[in-house]
Amino acid sequence: MQVKFQTIEGKSLQFYLLVAALALLIVPGLYSTWRMYEDGIYLSGMTNRIPWGLQIILCVFYIGASAGSLVISSLYGIFGKIEYKPFARIAVYLALLFLIAALLSILTDLGRLDNLTASASYFNFLSMLSINPFLYNTYILICIVYLWAMLREKERFVRVIAVVAVVWAVLVHSGTGAIFGFVPRELYQSPLLPPSFITAALSSGTALMILVILGLFRLNRRPLDHELVVRLGRLLAVFIVIVLYFLFVENAYRLYMADSREAACHFLFTPFNGTLFWGGLIVVGCIIPAVVLFHPRTGKSTPWIVFSCVLTVFGVLCERYLIVIPGQTHPPELLPNMEITSITELGAKYCLNEGIVHYTASIHEVFQAVSVLALIGFMFVVGLRLFKLMPTEAKIYK
Amino acid sequence: MDRREFLRKGGVLAAGTACAGALPWLPACSSTTTTSTPSGEEGSSSECKYGMVVDLPKCRPGCTACLDACRKENNVAYHGDPRWDVHLIRKVTVERTYPVQGPKKPMLLLCNQCDDPPCAQACPVQATYKRPDGIVVVDQHRCIGCRYCMIACPYDARSFNYKESEEWPNHDRAKSMHGVPESCTFCAHRLDRGEKPACVEACEKVGAKVLSVGNLNDPESRVSRLIRDNSVKALREDLGTKPKVFYIGL
Repeated sequence: MQVKFQTIEGKSLQFYLLVAALALLIVPGLYSTWRMYEDGIYLSGMTNRIPWGLQIILCVFYIGASAGSLVISSLYGIFGKIEYKPFARIAVYLALLFLIAALLSILTDLGRLDNLTASASYFNFLSMLSINPFLYNTYILICIVYLWAMLREKERFVRVIAVVAVVWAVLVHSGTGAIFGFVPRELYQSPLLPPSFITAALSSGTALMILVILGLFRLNRRPLDHELVVRLGRLLAVFIVIVLYFLFVENAYRLYMADSREAACHFLFTPFNGTLFWGGLIVVGCIIPAVVLFHPRTGKSTPWIVFSCVLTVFGVLCERYLIVIPGQTHPPELLPNMEITSITELGAKYCLNEGIVHYTASIHEVFQAVSVLALIGFMFVVGLRLFKLMPTEAKIYK
Repeated sequence: MDRREFLRKGGVLAAGTACAGALPWLPACSSTTTTSTPSGEEGSSSECKYGMVVDLPKCRPGCTACLDACRKENNVAYHGDPRWDVHLIRKVTVERTYPVQGPKKPMLLLCNQCDDPPCAQACPVQATYKRPDGIVVVDQHRCIGCRYCMIACPYDARSFNYKESEEWPNHDRAKSMHGVPESCTFCAHRLDRGEKPACVEACEKVGAKVLSVGNLNDPESRVSRLIRDNSVKALREDLGTKPKVFYIGL
């Protein structure tokens, strides 16, 4: 059975308004980035104790989302599941856009954009932050070739490039996990981070994919087989369970070992982190969606599936925050059995904010984040109009 | 431009980007650190490796001579806001909490000039590197300001220039631009001239002699003698970073 693809019509007033709105939303972020380039990134909420903030959280989130999309496309590309072919193109296009968003997030976060050429001329084999941009760039290239092969209906080539893309995606996401896992910080250092990073990526990516598919088919009034959405929901539920398992192992280990117990408590039981972890990530982001999706009745209802997808995305956002920030707010244990007790004696002039610190994103960081999101939204909408990404219909072929 | 052409051009552009990304794989090995010929502060030898000894019992709680000298010598940015103030050397108070409650003691924290520096390992563009004499420095003209070195440093020894400083006390030295990190370099520029680091000089001037910097490879240097004759500790030696700042009386 042949799946037909068509561009979206995109001639309605709403379409143009959407494109214009997205284009407009890009502007404030450009302004903020320019200000930071001129005056310095003190305009962000970052400090000497918290050198990585919102852009890194979102970068990590986008990279994860990109993996999930790619997996959906691989269901067709690698496993030959023809019923998922209708989503394959959108999935790869989204994977590509999410990765561009991730790279842009890093770019807006750099202190010296004018030295950026150095990253193309000097390479450090030992640096995860040097290896990863290389992986990202090649991944973007692979996605483009993959998309091209699908647009040209080169079926056999698609099979090959799909395998390459998925293998590369695993590298990209392990690498991103390693950015955090491979540094000597109590709440970062963990060999489990790369694989657990991939699982969270799969769940957030699948959830976003389901939301995008449902939204697109509804807006364009194209028929979508309900059973397909239900199956994707099941898949998401499985991913969520794996995420829970990894979270359990990692935190149980930290809590169990005496040397990391104090840091684990900071991560799990302080008011803000604890709320995000137990409330946001575990209950709202994992348990509720998993129960809803596995339940024989709610797991088949579109509104419930949408509900659990939104919760999953929220949960993974919490998880990304928890990967990046608590590892910095928690002070490194420089002197075992000693406490840095007083910083007031000489005044704050002579020391850092020692002890536990807090991070709040500034308005400029929010502008930048919105800008990046709007840009890929813009590219997505325009892409749908330019390329044959949307299928005319999606159903299970018997 | 029709769609095919768009795709084709897009493809070419992307291929170009990826190639540019891959290019650095080739010359990576050849781009090594700059060389300098350290003269050494005392007992200079050809294989110089600098280290520091901090004699904490001699440090007076209220004294800030080394801190002020460092700020002045290196044009260290001070904005009056602890979020962004740059510190190459910090003074804190520490107190033993286990197994017995100890007295409050002053403590100096600075870059440990690790022999296996995680910051240099992390730097994506090799802007942070270890000089042949063991001093870890940042090339501010190559740094892209990603701050991964600060994430990687287990000692929180690096500060970032979130904004440019208004003051410029030492015109012999450039003012740090915003967007790059900084950490103590043992005043490498002074060592290269055969002078002592600013903090060491200031400490001697007030008659405390807490700080000494010298060649660890020279068995007769003051630092080598102090390390040999005293029980010294370095911070977080368990991490394997081989820090080269040693504390007496910690």
